[in-house]
Amino acid sequence: MKINVKQMIAHIFLGVLTIVLLFPIIFAIANSFKTLEEATNHIWRFIPLNPTIKNYIHVFETLPFGRITWNTFLIAFTVTIFKSLTSIIAAYAFVFFDFKGKRLLYFTLISTMFIPFTVTMIPNYITVSALGLNDSIWGVALPQLADALGIFLLRQSMRTIPKSFIEVAKIEKVGHLRILSDILVPLVKPAIISTGIIFFINSWNEYVWPVLILKSKENYTLSLALQMFISAEGGTDFTVAMAVSVITMIVPLVLYLIFQRYIINTFALSGIKG
Amino acid sequence: MKKIKEDLFALLFILPSLTAFCFFMFWPLIRTVYLSFFDWNMIKPVKKFVGLQNYITLLQDDVTYKVLGNTILYILILLVVNFVLPYIVSFLLSFVIRKGKSFYKTAFFLPSVISLVVGSILYVWILNPVTGPVAMILRFFDMQLPIWSKSEGLVIWILSLITSWKVFGYNFIIVLGGVMGVSQEVIEAAKLDHIPNYKIFMQIVLPMSSSTGVYVLITTIVQGLQYVFTPIKVVTQGGPNYASSNLIYQSYHEAFTLYKTGEASAFSVMTMALFILLLVLEFKFVEKGVYYEN
Amino acid sequence: MKKRTVTRVAAFIMAAAMALTGCGASDAGTAQDTVNKSASAGDGEKIKIEYWHCNGEGQGGATVEELVAKFNESNDHIEVVAKYNPDMYKGLMQNLQAEAAVGNTPALVQIGWSFLEYFSNNFAYLEPQAAIDQYDAEDSTFLTDHFLPNILELAENSDGGQVGIPYSLSSPVFYYNVDLFREAGLPEEGPKTWEQVMEYSEIIKEKTGKYGLYIQEPSDNWATQALIESNGGKFMTADAEGNVKATFASEEGIYAYQTWADMIADGTALHISWEEGVQAFNSGEVAMLYTTIARRSNIQSSAQFEAAAVNSPVWEGKERVIPAGGCFLAITAQTEEQQAAAWEFEKFLYSIESMAAWTIGTGYVPPRKDVADSPEGLKSFLEENQMMKAATTQMDAVVKWTSFPGDAGLEAEQIMIDVRDEILNGDVSARDGLTKAQEEINALLEAQ
Repeated sequence: MKINVKQMIAHIFLGVLTIVLLFPIIFAIANSFKTLEEATNHIWRFIPLNPTIKNYIHVFETLPFGRITWNTFLIAFTVTIFKSLTSIIAAYAFVFFDFKGKRLLYFTLISTMFIPFTVTMIPNYITVSALGLNDSIWGVALPQLADALGIFLLRQSMRTIPKSFIEVAKIEKVGHLRILSDILVPLVKPAIISTGIIFFINSWNEYVWPVLILKSKENYTLSLALQMFISAEGGTDFTVAMAVSVITMIVPLVLYLIFQRYIINTFALSGIKG
Repeated sequence: MKKIKEDLFALLFILPSLTAFCFFMFWPLIRTVYLSFFDWNMIKPVKKFVGLQNYITLLQDDVTYKVLGNTILYILILLVVNFVLPYIVSFLLSFVIRKGKSFYKTAFFLPSVISLVVGSILYVWILNPVTGPVAMILRFFDMQLPIWSKSEGLVIWILSLITSWKVFGYNFIIVLGGVMGVSQEVIEAAKLDHIPNYKIFMQIVLPMSSSTGVYVLITTIVQGLQYVFTPIKVVTQGGPNYASSNLIYQSYHEAFTLYKTGEASAFSVMTMALFILLLVLEFKFVEKGVYYEN
Repeated sequence: MKKRTVTRVAAFIMAAAMALTGCGASDAGTAQDTVNKSASAGDGEKIKIEYWHCNGEGQGGATVEELVAKFNESNDHIEVVAKYNPDMYKGLMQNLQAEAAVGNTPALVQIGWSFLEYFSNNFAYLEPQAAIDQYDAEDSTFLTDHFLPNILELAENSDGGQVGIPYSLSSPVFYYNVDLFREAGLPEEGPKTWEQVMEYSEIIKEKTGKYGLYIQEPSDNWATQALIESNGGKFMTADAEGNVKATFASEEGIYAYQTWADMIADGTALHISWEEGVQAFNSGEVAMLYTTIARRSNIQSSAQFEAAAVNSPVWEGKERVIPAGGCFLAITAQTEEQQAAAWEFEKFLYSIESMAAWTIGTGYVPPRKDVADSPEGLKSFLEENQMMKAATTQMDAVVKWTSFPGDAGLEAEQIMIDVRDEILNGDVSARDGLTKAQEEINALLEAQ
């Protein structure tokens, strides 16, 4: 009986946490189907009295959302792949090689984690413009092909793999790329996935940098499209903004729901350490 | 000979990251350090050299210290909510409850895929002290939600809450992975010895998953610094009277609201120096206690 | 082993990574160059100009598109590309700054009034009269023919130069909840003076339990300027030699500000962020709202009660003074070809039809004469939208939005914002706060 009380308290606690975390999402979805008047005056109504898809029609009429979603995906995908690859090989070098100045080099790379984006914004804009990538989604992706956090996290997880694994492979004259792809990557898969997720989500939702680079509507990303519906002077049309928000959420949510079993199981089997 | 070949390989592997950083991180950084000695607004044809004046101005400004204090508070709150709480929840999930585990895992992760711009707009409505749903519930119990967006102190808690809403789920999944990765045999053995669950958790599980811990600790600090920017920008613009500004927002404010490029650069340089110091400390002290295979 | 293949492919991509990006970049680079070349080629090809604006979908975004499309169709030699800039005029300024760092500029930009001095101090622009003389000499009296002198003056900097032409004009108006007024037994035609506003707020609080008043609190001092200057105070005064000083901490200024702070202290007025404050009004929790006419359509589509708007209130026995909100258009094109195109497009934007479309799409007040009464203009729109009257009938009281001269202007503006929170939070009295802020700003102005 004692255990049951404990469990009940735990469930109540977790239940409250669930409500706190999910409420805003439900709130967003509910309001995206309301008129502005209903959203303003009946905030507690989760099922709108007069549900309307007017907000969605409006945003789809204003902006080419198919194209915009594709742009966002392309940027996020490119950034994720490149960041993951550059981080994997760099982390590998830092863990399994010994060379002069390793610590210093590692430290220098890692310290870029703390560079405020105000430092990089204008110089990178100048660089990207000089390359003619202004108003191009590749201009958005270009400065984000490597990531200090990625190197750091993957190094952490590779350090949990005994060096002897690699030594044995080396003695058998297996090439480094083979060691990486056949031994190491499978072993640190959870870490790669977890950093990959964070790369993807961050890129998907980024807005300060794309705002600077992208000009034409057909090159927009979703978070930039959302900005179009937030106006300081005229007031935000809340229900329309919610419709755009729901559209921005869909792809990452669907991706997560498809992969969640896989993602969580990988973590649960072995943790971040590999 | 073999050693040189090895070194070359290592360099080759680091080169892609290094190249990218040189162009898009180090060169901007050098430029920033250079600009921090000038009085300039990015457009004026003439940059006026002022030596260390920008640094002196900032060090003499009360706002700098206020913002530094805010930053520390933000990081502490985020550490509690996104570092400590995930451990507690992981403990509950792996040691206490039996049913609903996969439901909680899915539910908790969902907000982390959503952008903080969306989160911020949502919370301005949800937590509106006059008309929001939370205020309505409180009013039912004859309580009032304070006007948080204009209250010193409280505003930091609310903006941290908005940020945590997004960050919590991701951190939780990582921590849970680490906790569940601890060998079941060790835990079973401890259970046979009738060691209470919380002791198993504190004395066996935590130390054995400490590499996960470092991961989450560092991401929380980095995010605590950078993610908070968005709610600050969307909800308060640093107000009231800098009560919600943090180091990153303040350097943005100097650079892109006041266009004081020199001072903003000095501010960024000082921010970086501070966090590199933290990083050094992390290397010196925290890493030593961490459990690694090699 | 399928997985191995995958990782091997991945490894290959990675190996080719740097090379690929290099190529991609240079390819796109040449593509871009060709576009630019063809844009400036002129013979038979269209000239491409950029128009930068801040009109999101909530306010005029669709109208910008519509006007640009109409213009592009109507002529065979210019193609306008409109770029939207989030975060209003401040956001546009940031992007303009970045663009200047690269060495580019758009052809035509919207500049918010509070950036007038900063913009004219730091950017290269073509004055409208110069553009007309150079590219449209037949119509040399365009400005005086179509704009009232007090309107044109809004876009004049402290040196007397005409930086641009007023385009989006807003002014602060006074919205109120007629239903709540009825409930509290207050006159349905609304207040005329701030003294009445105070009195009504107390009655509202007493009779209905709701808040009386919310005055907008964005990151600028627009509404504050109206409040102080309508009491006879002056934000800024120039002496005989043209030296400018901040003077808002006069008795009039302090009185107006302290009254506002007192209302907040006794709970009849609300001190909250702009977005939250308007929400509170829209859901009937605050009876009166002092904010821009640009919020009209948002209020109309949110409110379930009968909402009305009247002119910006005055203090008893004083004159109404209200700062213009919105923006002016400035030509930042650098080549002659681009400048000529920019002027042609700008002129199109100021035609009666375009102005009328702009007003209907945005809720701004037309800066040009003849638009309000002309049949192809706004006549029917204004008849249907009574709330607009609150703004159109107070245009004679419009003055320049104070923009402190020189580069310190933006910092001066920030000092005023900071002190607002201190005073309204009750941390300092209006007298101490304003006096301190005024001294700081004057020290800044003197230092430059």
